[in-house]
Amino acid sequence: MTRPTSALRHRSVLAYAVLGLALLVTLVPLAYLFSVSLMGRDETVSGILFTPDPQWSNWGDVLGSNIPLAIGNSLLSALGGALLTLVIALPGAWAIARFRAGGRTLGATLMSPWLLPPIVAVVPLLTLLRILGLNNTVLGLALVYAFANAPVAVWLLEGFVRRLPIEIEEAATIDGAGSFRTLLSIIAPLLAPSLVAVGIIVAILNYNEFLLATFLTQSADAQTFPVALSLFYGDRTPHFGKIAAASFIGVIPVFAAAVFFQRWLVGGLTGGAVR
Amino acid sequence: MADATSVRPRLSSGLVPRRQAWAHRLVISPTVLSIVVLGLYPLLFILAAAFSDSTLGKPFRDWVGTENFELVLADGDIVASFARTVLYALAISIVSVILGVVIALSLERATRSGSVVRTVLLLPLITPPVVVGTLWKLVFNPGGGLLDTLLRGVGVEGASVAPLSSTFWALPAIGLADVWQWTPLITLLVYAALLTQDGAVTEAAALDGAHGFGLFRHITWPAIAGTVAAVFFVRLVIALKVFDLVFIMTSGGPGQASTTTSYVIYQVALKEFDVGRASAITLLFAVIVTLITLPVAALTRKLSHD
Repeated sequence: MTRPTSALRHRSVLAYAVLGLALLVTLVPLAYLFSVSLMGRDETVSGILFTPDPQWSNWGDVLGSNIPLAIGNSLLSALGGALLTLVIALPGAWAIARFRAGGRTLGATLMSPWLLPPIVAVVPLLTLLRILGLNNTVLGLALVYAFANAPVAVWLLEGFVRRLPIEIEEAATIDGAGSFRTLLSIIAPLLAPSLVAVGIIVAILNYNEFLLATFLTQSADAQTFPVALSLFYGDRTPHFGKIAAASFIGVIPVFAAAVFFQRWLVGGLTGGAVR
Repeated sequence: MADATSVRPRLSSGLVPRRQAWAHRLVISPTVLSIVVLGLYPLLFILAAAFSDSTLGKPFRDWVGTENFELVLADGDIVASFARTVLYALAISIVSVILGVVIALSLERATRSGSVVRTVLLLPLITPPVVVGTLWKLVFNPGGGLLDTLLRGVGVEGASVAPLSSTFWALPAIGLADVWQWTPLITLLVYAALLTQDGAVTEAAALDGAHGFGLFRHITWPAIAGTVAAVFFVRLVIALKVFDLVFIMTSGGPGQASTTTSYVIYQVALKEFDVGRASAITLLFAVIVTLITLPVAALTRKLSHD
């Protein structure tokens, strides 16, 4: 892989320049958010980029508000929903990949709800949760998330199932293992890394979801983080420093997950092509 | 892929009869249930509501035929929101895909950039849209936001810069936040496609004297065209549904300047409580989304089969 040509070297300089610019554009707004989170009320409208006098009290105030509870609710609904999604999607993905269960109809309809804005769907879902007595609960929201993301998870997992050598399953069948046995003791362990990857993607989607959460969790004790943050604007004169601090604190769990699970996250999104 | 699996003996055929078939149905049933609960049930509700006089509290009071549709199509604001949303989505998708492809190509070329760079570039994608909206709202804050301060710093004085309260700039400003958030997904997927292309082919072409744009056009582009078309489709659908950013950054304003269709549906259904009319808007929008995305989906299929 020696590339001595100067043209190639020239282009790799360009590549580094593009990457540098992309990193800058990615990081500057996030750094600015952090910087604003330490500003006092007057400083946020005074045209400075850094405060000379960091107001850590913004962070303290946010930690004393309902934001930590909301982050807890978000984590619960995100992780609970993601786990349930995997329980629903793994058998589905396996059946579709191996037996063409559901035929072409299922394959075609799987992702179609995703094409439409989900706003009106909020109304029948709210009715359904009310009948089940689960409106305004984290459990109800987790259930909705579990079902809402099942098609995406099936779609992502199907590719991973196809890549497993089918011989192992054939051997299991010959040894007398039934469908459920094969699924539980052969497929699930082999797919464990992919399950983690898809689970993380779905959990992040859940954590960030706003529209459904606003209407399905209206009571303060069930609100998720995006909902609680959106309500910060309700004040007549919003304190941008505190809003920024709340934003930053709420982002920490997803960013931590991204750094920690980087390999799985990227692998899951790209079907294992990038690690 | 499909061919490879179809030549293999399928477990469901022949030897293993009825018991196994029932097991398969059982295994697929949770997936089917999720489509019924989150797809079919809301769809039937929307269909029924669109043809009836439905409020948030009392759906399906009276069948009114196509009255809701007539009201919607006669409403200039709503029709304008359709056009605005489609233009917005097309523009945003084209910009994100171009940027995403350029960054992906750079990422592949810059062989020494590691996983840290990739992780950082992914951050906007996993940031909650509500935070992305907040972030850019702060950047665009006319009294001392990042943009205002920087412009002042390079000496652009005069009228303060307030893109979010300008009829012309509000939507592009939302678009900038949208591009910032979703370009990483395109970068990542195109980068993955670049990694799976055959390095030997590129080497050979380079030895034969292909370089620069020629190498890209004849070797790299055919290898990634299918993926690029597919991510354009995904990006387009996400852009057509934009809601969170509008909600946080402008609430559809100033006036109607940044009111996208999702936001109209939200206003009609959950502020005016007219679920019937909101359902009619949703269905009409479904037709528009289909008309816009069908050619893209067809192109995707063609490019990835070549």
